[in-house]
Amino acid sequence: MEFVHKVSKGSRFNQIYVPKEMELVFEVGDLVEVKLLKKSMSLFLTGEVELSEFKENLIRDVFSFLGKFKEVKCAFFFGSFLTKKIEYNDIDLLIVTEKKSFDKIVYKEIIDKFNLKFHVISIPEEKFLELGEICPLTRSMLSQSVSNKKFKIPKKRIDKEHIEFLLMMPEDLMKIKTNSRVFYDNIRRLMVIERFLDYKEESQEDAEKEMTKSLGRISEKIKNNKEISEKEVEDIRKVIKNKLNRIRKKI
Amino acid sequence: MSKEKTIDELINILAVALRHKIGSIVNSNEIYAQKYSKDAEVLLKEARKTASSINWNSYDKTRIKKKLKIKLEEELRKKEFLDSRKFEIMDEEIGKALKELELV
Repeated sequence: MEFVHKVSKGSRFNQIYVPKEMELVFEVGDLVEVKLLKKSMSLFLTGEVELSEFKENLIRDVFSFLGKFKEVKCAFFFGSFLTKKIEYNDIDLLIVTEKKSFDKIVYKEIIDKFNLKFHVISIPEEKFLELGEICPLTRSMLSQSVSNKKFKIPKKRIDKEHIEFLLMMPEDLMKIKTNSRVFYDNIRRLMVIERFLDYKEESQEDAEKEMTKSLGRISEKIKNNKEISEKEVEDIRKVIKNKLNRIRKKI
Repeated sequence: MSKEKTIDELINILAVALRHKIGSIVNSNEIYAQKYSKDAEVLLKEARKTASSINWNSYDKTRIKKKLKIKLEEELRKKEFLDSRKFEIMDEEIGKALKELELV
């Protein structure tokens, strides 16, 4: 005889009740074996995230798969896979680990298992906690995310050196011309940094609206990596320069 | 564009590209280190375009290497927020980049 039941929370120990109709079969003192059939899993959503059934199931499956790695402390889905219905490029996954990074090992196993285009980043827990406080981009990334552990974005702390590290590429774009999508990504980066410094961290959608407002129709061109004229490069550099100046005054 | 100007442009892009690459190596614990490594690749691609526009002789190649080392050292010195290991891996990264661009 057998039955399937959920484990429930007891005041001292978690417990499994014998169903009423089986109390004559499973009696006090009988010896039984308990086997785990399916791990219960909660998803923790941060920010405005709506999941289709497919996405929710995939996230659950990936989290369940990651459970076999004892080094994994927690994991987050973030990026366009969550914010866009279908126009996402790859599936961004951040894995917080006990000590060393091990994204290469996980990446291979995840690809083999799910055959989907994942972008895996792994980071030691200690560094993750620090970045949660000081990194505008990490905070923005996690502001719309799904994790397998309860997570709250920590109180911010301004770290000048870290901001300088993030400003390196936008600054270089003042002198170097590259493909237009790089300009788009870096203006967006500056917007996120500025909002962080202004205590105005909002959703990623707001950053896109601000981008369109600052750059007008050029915004769509550079978002799609289209060719831009010298005059347009100059206009973009003006926006970058203004943002850099404003950020510099605040750090 | 004259050869001298092309060399200057090449050195500028390469120095920036290598600074990003070295930054991604010495600050590898940053989530965005990967992004910097990609930025470096984008810039190296630009450098490759510039480098391929001229037939370089061995004298040019030696000059490029010397100038690049001076410029990169200066760039790295300015970026105090990058870990000091940056100077230890500088020569190796210059070698790799120049080999990739067939400038050795």
